[in-house]
Amino acid sequence: MSEGSNSTAAISFSGVSKWFRTKDQLVHAVSQVSLDVAKSEFVSLIGPSGCGKSTMLRLASGLLDPDHGTIVVDGNRPVDVRKRKQFGFIPQHPSLLPWRTVRENVSLLCDLNRQPEATVMSDDDQLEMLESIGLGPFVDSLPNELSGGMMQRVSIARAFALGAPFLLADEPFSALDELTRVEMRYLLLELWEQSGSTVLFVTHSIPEAVVLSDRAIVLAARPGRITRVIDVPLPRPRDESIEDTDEYREILAEVRSALKEGWSH
Amino acid sequence: MADVTADAPTMSFEDAPPEPERHPVRQFLLMIAPFTGLAFFFLFWEFYVRLAGIRPLTLPKPSDVLVHVLENPGFYWHHATVTVQEAWWGFWMAFVLAILVATAMAHSKFMERAATPIIVLMQSMPVAILVPVFLLWFGFSVWPKILTALLFAWIPFVANALTGLRAIDPETHELLRSVNASRWEVYWRLRVPHSLPYLFSAGRICIGLALVGAVIGEFFNSKDGLGNTARVAQSRLLVDQLWGSVFVLAFIGVAFVLVLIAVEKRVLSWHSSQSVV
Repeated sequence: MSEGSNSTAAISFSGVSKWFRTKDQLVHAVSQVSLDVAKSEFVSLIGPSGCGKSTMLRLASGLLDPDHGTIVVDGNRPVDVRKRKQFGFIPQHPSLLPWRTVRENVSLLCDLNRQPEATVMSDDDQLEMLESIGLGPFVDSLPNELSGGMMQRVSIARAFALGAPFLLADEPFSALDELTRVEMRYLLLELWEQSGSTVLFVTHSIPEAVVLSDRAIVLAARPGRITRVIDVPLPRPRDESIEDTDEYREILAEVRSALKEGWSH
Repeated sequence: MADVTADAPTMSFEDAPPEPERHPVRQFLLMIAPFTGLAFFFLFWEFYVRLAGIRPLTLPKPSDVLVHVLENPGFYWHHATVTVQEAWWGFWMAFVLAILVATAMAHSKFMERAATPIIVLMQSMPVAILVPVFLLWFGFSVWPKILTALLFAWIPFVANALTGLRAIDPETHELLRSVNASRWEVYWRLRVPHSLPYLFSAGRICIGLALVGAVIGEFFNSKDGLGNTARVAQSRLLVDQLWGSVFVLAFIGVAFVLVLIAVEKRVLSWHSSQSVV
């Protein structure tokens, strides 16, 4: 095994490759990726479209199998971890069921595939969380009565309601307006700090990656690969004031130039 | 600026704007709008027949037909219940069969490929030609009519059920799979609720089709039912009874569709199709 694999890591990719075969071409989505994510670490995957960052989430959760290399989550195969409902997933769009109220949407994943040793939040805890993120007056509303930002709040709450030790987010804020995005960033941080989960967060927003992460993994496309790993040693807990610091701006610039290098290759 | 606001009614900027004014006449017109079209249609018919001196054999006045139906309630009640029963069973058997077939097709590529040619075949052929075959099989019983109603109503049901069960949002599907939800859970929690709007709109069409099927079955061979009363009336030139059968059948179709719409409004309150109405 390559030195990328580390038995103490929460999520470990070692030498992972993945191809997709379409009608007339073979796409090398992920190439030779090795990455260790520590327990309770917040790691962002940032890169241009086609760099395989969403594919990496699907590999980590066992929704896809790698063609080469291995992925270990908490010492287990990703599929087995998924079967025990240990992954909280925040998709790109809120993906709420329109026939369920806010409360019922948040408990949806808890109700499916019930596990004896499940760590899911109790109904009371779910309600408390919904109130803490400003959804208190809307718990019995249907999704079509909510704004886009509110729907995404419900989607985030749904992931945390699982109480899962691993959180996978696939560009969850990309469809929101700029003001709402910023708000969601700090909301996610707040909920994450309470939960202590390990996060893989896919984004193509540089400020998002820097504000949220302990490490930003910079990827390049065709084939999808890691070009740089940038530490983000900003103090926690973080709030909007860090965006005014020089350290923040330096890291921002570093990520930006790393992304540019990736394009020019 | 100061001059303008000085004359304005006393209203601070914190006040909510007043309730928009309601126009009672406009609202009343909108409320009766659905009935004006119908009323115009029947009035035009009534006065056209009266003024142009059309013979009743060619086209009776709608008022005469209405009076005739109201004078013979027992006769029409009996025949209407026969036709409604045939259409009713045909409708629900078509529904159940369509759900079973669409469920199998939505879950198995093989089943989908195997069943598609049969569905296309039934869609393309005039299924009414099968009624004599049913008569050969089941004789004078109620079954030829039920089967014809089933055959007419089945196609829209199966096509819409298939779309509804299959066209789920892939991202939501993946979300359910992220907690390893079983196929059964995906079916009940996602596919079935998602297919409800499709099934309701199929239902509206199939009410009419099931009645058509029952009546066609009755045309071929029957002792009662509105298809029978119309056929007998035509052969004996009973114009009132012919048009009475038409009126009663139309009323039944409309009544069932209205009931379905009422149910739909309750069940699909979450669906965007309901927010406009």
